[in-house]
Amino acid sequence: MLIYLPIAELSVNMFIIFGMGGAVGFLSGLFGVGGGFLLTPLLIFSGIPPVVSVATVATQIVASSTSAALSYWRRRLIDVKLAAVLLSAGIIGSGLGVQVFNLLRRLGQLDLIVSLAYVTFLGLVGGLMLTESLRAIVNTRRGRPAPLRRPGQHIWVHGLPFKMRFKRSRLYVSVIPIVALGLVIGFLGALLGIGGGFIMVPAMIYLLRVPTNVVIGTSLIQIMATMAVATVLHAVSSQSVDVILAIILMVGGVIGAQFGARVGQTIRGDQLRALLAVTVLAVAIRFLVGLVTMPVERYGLTVLGAG
Amino acid sequence: MARLVLATAAIMLTAAIGTAHAEKLTIAVSTPEVQISSNFSGTSITVFGVVEPDAATVSRVGRYEVAVLVLGPARTVVARRKDRIVGIWTNWAAETIIGAPTFYALDSSDEIDAITTPVVLDRLALGFDNIPFAFRGTDVNDPDTAEFRAAFLRLKEKAGLFSEATDVAFIGDTIFRSITWLPANTPTGRYSVLAYLFSGQSLVAHAEDTLFVTQTGFDQMMTAFAHGHALIYGLFCAGIAVFVGWLGGVIFRRD
Repeated sequence: MLIYLPIAELSVNMFIIFGMGGAVGFLSGLFGVGGGFLLTPLLIFSGIPPVVSVATVATQIVASSTSAALSYWRRRLIDVKLAAVLLSAGIIGSGLGVQVFNLLRRLGQLDLIVSLAYVTFLGLVGGLMLTESLRAIVNTRRGRPAPLRRPGQHIWVHGLPFKMRFKRSRLYVSVIPIVALGLVIGFLGALLGIGGGFIMVPAMIYLLRVPTNVVIGTSLIQIMATMAVATVLHAVSSQSVDVILAIILMVGGVIGAQFGARVGQTIRGDQLRALLAVTVLAVAIRFLVGLVTMPVERYGLTVLGAG
Repeated sequence: MARLVLATAAIMLTAAIGTAHAEKLTIAVSTPEVQISSNFSGTSITVFGVVEPDAATVSRVGRYEVAVLVLGPARTVVARRKDRIVGIWTNWAAETIIGAPTFYALDSSDEIDAITTPVVLDRLALGFDNIPFAFRGTDVNDPDTAEFRAAFLRLKEKAGLFSEATDVAFIGDTIFRSITWLPANTPTGRYSVLAYLFSGQSLVAHAEDTLFVTQTGFDQMMTAFAHGHALIYGLFCAGIAVFVGWLGGVIFRRD
């Protein structure tokens, strides 16, 4: 069934878009990530203008992260104070991201930067995740116990000033790395149409030493808030949020996530991480191939306006 | 002898001018307002035309030829070309195209070159080669512009927005019909429908009509909302997202 998207000004097959939302929702439920890094490229590859894709996925991420955050909220697995610091910085980062997004769009270099950023971040995170999870799998096979994390261990991050106490996470750390993390994730989220959970969760665990049980819930709150701000800013600055597209994606995503989460409980953690790493790397490689191979059509058109 | 030739030419010229306004051409568009609603997947419009010859032209030899042109609103477009920069293909060269129509559908009763002379084709913007548009700040003789022009036409044709056909059908001698397909990605705005009547290579009559392509209902509301009240629209979208997320969380509650 074809449905007309008023902002993108084109018709799409509703079931294909719904299926994409559902499939990405399934993976996000399975892996416990937002899935923006999969959904935005999928929309771009299926012919929806990058500008509309990035802005609309931001809206979709608000829905999926709200849904997931709700269940963490009920189980009290959220550090509200930490989330507040993160999202204050995230909102500023998101504002900067939208500014840069519009600047690049005017220069015609948005596609390039988005592709390069996807290759870099997804390649890096996917590579790290893959080596870590493979090591874990090999260790389990050989019957070696997973290396224990010593809670008292300090790294350079813990020597920074402006310390703040986060009771829920049992942390006493400097706000500098927290603010920096919030800024970076908010910026990348608005620019690339991703929630950034796949960068934030490892950073919170390894850099800030936030206990694993509150990491996901807390990062979801930050993602929800920054993406909501990104939605509003994209709507104001480029009028590129397509509400019809967003609703189809949201409904598909929310339903898909439930099934994904159910399947996820039956797969072991290290295997799950290895699967996610492969998926992330595949997207990175797809973008890399697009950058280095000669395009079939070298020309592209952008409508500026009446006149 | 020279005087005779001149005189003959003068008579022929007078005759040509005399008959130029003898036919009356009237056209009508089947759907003067095409409405884009949420299930819009393209539509076709039909242009009907009636030729009314007057007493002086009834005896005209040869049949009439017709060209029907549907022109979309002009918009400024940036065309970009990807070039290989340090091993990466990226948008590099760019040209701003001014005044090119967003939609161009030409339908004629015969090959356009056979209907009339190149001079007339050029003047009436008939045929892809004669679509008038300019490049901002670039010399017309720049070899790049020819390449950009060709690319622009190719992309527009691929998008289904530019087309040339020879499907004008005559119903009897004086009534004709031309069908134009407006695809799903048809730009909105005011369209011009132009019809030209030719006889013996020369233009004998023309007619013009307009066509509006507009979004309607919910889509129109959303577009107007998104552009007119961007901040409220943004908050509304974010609000819907929170609501759908919350609803999903409640419906699929597992604990």
